[in-house]
Amino acid sequence: MFIRPFGYERAGSLADACEMLRERGEAAKVIAGGQSLLPMVNLGLVQPEVIIDISHAGRDDDGAAARGGGAVPGGAVPGGGRSGSDRAVAARSREIGGGDGYLTIGALVSHARLAGDPAVASAQPLLAAAAARIGNPRVRSRGTLGGSLAHSDPAAELPLAMVALGASYRVTDGRSARDVRAEEFHLSFLTSALAEDELVVSATVPALGPGWGWSFQEVARREGDFALAAVAVLVRMAGGIVAEARVAVGGAADRPLRLADVEAALAGASPGEIAGRAGPLRGLSPVSDISASAGHRAHLCAVLVRRALDEACRRSQEATA
Amino acid sequence: MTHTATITLTVNGQRLTRTAGAHLTLLRWLRDLAGVTDPKYGCGEGVCGACAVLLDGEPVSACLVLAAQVDGAEVTTAAGLSGPGGIPGPLQEAFHACHAAQCGFCTPGMLVTAAALLADGRIRSRAEIRAGLHGNLCRCTGYGPIVDAVEAAQEARQARPDPRDHLGRAPAGHDAPRPRPAAGPERGR
Repeated sequence: MFIRPFGYERAGSLADACEMLRERGEAAKVIAGGQSLLPMVNLGLVQPEVIIDISHAGRDDDGAAARGGGAVPGGAVPGGGRSGSDRAVAARSREIGGGDGYLTIGALVSHARLAGDPAVASAQPLLAAAAARIGNPRVRSRGTLGGSLAHSDPAAELPLAMVALGASYRVTDGRSARDVRAEEFHLSFLTSALAEDELVVSATVPALGPGWGWSFQEVARREGDFALAAVAVLVRMAGGIVAEARVAVGGAADRPLRLADVEAALAGASPGEIAGRAGPLRGLSPVSDISASAGHRAHLCAVLVRRALDEACRRSQEATA
Repeated sequence: MTHTATITLTVNGQRLTRTAGAHLTLLRWLRDLAGVTDPKYGCGEGVCGACAVLLDGEPVSACLVLAAQVDGAEVTTAAGLSGPGGIPGPLQEAFHACHAAQCGFCTPGMLVTAAALLADGRIRSRAEIRAGLHGNLCRCTGYGPIVDAVEAAQEARQARPDPRDHLGRAPAGHDAPRPRPAAGPERGR
């Protein structure tokens, strides 16, 4: 762990961090919880010249320290670098909020908080369950939602849950914000739709609707390891048959995938017909790698989808009973 | 941008200030600058748990935190779990009594993880203890005695008149009678 030294810059707001990214270009890496970046730094896979720390962005007790350290390029950001809207954006990145059938989670919310927050558990339990499956307790203490989404690992739990839920991400370059659908954000292995000076602010998901059941399933070689295959499913049963289904798989491609063909085939299925309708998962062609062969991954995905559909249907029927 | 950072941390109750490269991890800061050597360097990827410490009460991999990120924080290492005058604390007693250490390399991380696991005072099943420790690797014991020790420590805490944990926190609702852990098929070895 004798890593090449790098500089450290602490951002007082997300806008400050975006400005630093424009200044430093590819030499800079952003750190929040550090649970994806620091393993790569420690292994020498990434050698940044400077690390920009956003973990303190918007913390009331921290603005003075950031400014006092001379780390903030004062005046470089429109509005003087620390406008009221910077504050609002930073506050949004630390909060869990909801209402009107939606749940919005800030990018700096830790996995442990997401897994344990009562508002998340009641509004969207699939998300809480996905967060609880991440890594180990130490990863969940430090790791953040925004970090996981931006890292865009195809086997990671949160991008999968977000794709299944039809989430939308708010991203900012410090000057303006835009919303990106989860399915359009996760492009390929460790590649997202973020521009080089953009950061994730928050993710918004619909709350679990009345009568919906859910399930999150994964298989890894070791507890806490990256999933060989993971599945997130939502089902609404009505009159004893599937009215609507959402099926997404992770670890089976270069990004989490919604299986629209499978979803369409499930509509109208009775519980006894579900396994047959889900079938061998059309539209899925995993690749072989060091961890598993393509055939093994395809098999695991099919098994997990069946298990997840079972559980989600049961929960849907319990919810409507 | 800074290449050096002056960091103050409260480590096991003692305030320490050191100036060094801003790229140093919390683990290197503790071991190489502060001489706090009970957290061990195992994998550098956050998967082995040998460097686990409590950061403001939360378990973290010290190898995956930059010291510069956590200036001003409180750090508790395994040594901070001991009682007054350095006598072994309840978890350390239980590890000793159950022979939960062989080579000892994983032990500081196991102790810290177990302390975090038991901090809320809820009695956990053997399966829950195993799940709580899954991020800490041991190459010697086969884990059985470690799980025994954590189970013994939570039972001993129930029996003590003062249920406060290693950080002096009382568990929520500790006055209420608590259910005994279910004796699962895995109990004993």
